[in-house]
Amino acid sequence: MNPIAVIGTGQTKHSKARLDVSQPELIREAASAALQDADIGPDDIDAVVISNMEMFEGRAFPELWAGEGAYAFGKPCVKVATGGTSGTSACIAGFHQAASGEFDTVLVVGFEKHSEGHTQTGMALVDPFWDRAVASGALGNFALSISQYMAERGVTEEHAAQVAVKARRNAANNPNAHLQMPDLTVDDVLASRMLAEPLHLLDMCPQSDGAAAIVVASEETARRRGSQAAWVRAATTRHDQPYLGDLDRRLVTMRALRDAAQAAYTRAGITDPLREFDIAEIYEPASYAELAWYEALGFCKEGEAGRLITEGVTAMDGELPVNPSGGVLSTNPVGASGVIRVAEASAQLLGRAGAHQVAGAATALATGYGVYAWSDVIVMRTEKP
Amino acid sequence: MILEGSIRLPFSYAAGVVGSRFLVALRDEQVILGGRCSDCGTVSCPARSMCPECGTHVDDLVEVGPGGTVEAWTEMPGKPAFGLIRLDGADTALIHHLLSGEGKWQPNTRVTARFAPERVGDINDIEGFEEERGAS
Ligand SMILES: [Zn+2]
Repeated sequence: MNPIAVIGTGQTKHSKARLDVSQPELIREAASAALQDADIGPDDIDAVVISNMEMFEGRAFPELWAGEGAYAFGKPCVKVATGGTSGTSACIAGFHQAASGEFDTVLVVGFEKHSEGHTQTGMALVDPFWDRAVASGALGNFALSISQYMAERGVTEEHAAQVAVKARRNAANNPNAHLQMPDLTVDDVLASRMLAEPLHLLDMCPQSDGAAAIVVASEETARRRGSQAAWVRAATTRHDQPYLGDLDRRLVTMRALRDAAQAAYTRAGITDPLREFDIAEIYEPASYAELAWYEALGFCKEGEAGRLITEGVTAMDGELPVNPSGGVLSTNPVGASGVIRVAEASAQLLGRAGAHQVAGAATALATGYGVYAWSDVIVMRTEKP
Repeated sequence: MILEGSIRLPFSYAAGVVGSRFLVALRDEQVILGGRCSDCGTVSCPARSMCPECGTHVDDLVEVGPGGTVEAWTEMPGKPAFGLIRLDGADTALIHHLLSGEGKWQPNTRVTARFAPERVGDINDIEGFEEERGAS
């Protein structure tokens, strides 16, 4: 793969309902912010990748009508949809386009406007034969694996609540975040409504309206910008089986994320992720997910995730700040959520993360999580390959 | 301006060669079928045409259950609990309702299938799983 870098990022204000704008207008907000951040114009874009889960807002073919918001007229434009990983997969598709040498500069835009559709319907339409026995949607499907994970790895409801608190407090320093709760406590999380045993309302990500974009550039274009580039050093994807019952103890093994991370770390020369990464933006749809991901991503040994959160190792002032932006737990426009992870990791390396900047961040991790276990892992550095 | 609307989505999906045999066995015989992989030996349930472990085409169907153990569970307020149930003779888990039992389900609780009196060839021809009689 030819060296490539992210040279600009843009996000909308994310919220429960962006009734002030149409879907293309929402996309345009993020796309134009990314072009401005990269200091380029629409004519400098050679190809466009769009990320969206079209069944979630009741409009088909976003690659048709969303393109206008993303400056796609007269350019190659494709849609990438892989569940929750859509955004990271779209970024990886954009990386591949720029790395191929065929396109110099690629715009990747992810968006979701949950307030305009019915996400649960989109989820229920996945499998007509086996999953509709319980038709539990994303929430129930995720909750289903937690009891097993807690029993095997000694994770408690309090550990999970600490993750939820960290996310919403971090989000208070991110003006784009949907849920900003600077005063949230563990007791508040544990007292919030039970959604699906053992997931409380505040253990779960929200549904958000929002969009995010990145500008990916070839080595030559990125090099001209000096330090204003976040170099992509590895990007890997692993998919898994489509029926949850086929996955061996999903959250305990997380084989897809474990495999993707191992491949990415090998490619990028990462041997001690907790020490070598300066910041991580990981796709955690629920508080418990972040704990399971700590283990699968090699931040700690199996069974030590609870200790990591309790000791503040992943807090803003800890050894490895995880999700300074507030993460998916604070902002979740699904098609955009993976792009947000990459945009946030890039902004940290570019030194443009504002109030949630981790000083001197030079090595960053971004991940995507979709469906039952699909995983994307992206390693970025300020240092050019 | 906000435009209000709703869309009706009728469907008719083919269950396929192996899926159809699974559903017909449920409906006509109250038997749960697993698919045994001729290559790696994995028995998956519900039976489907492709082995989830190695991808090999599956056409050897074997009876599994109706008893099994609960591997994991959850419950949403106002709805029956549901879980991952590993049926006796199967190597993978089935997602279905847990009908009896109050409160938290312990890992490895023994359960058995309860079939619907009226069956139509659907995964819900199994109403769900209840604790095995005589199990503690
Ligand atoms: Zn096999």
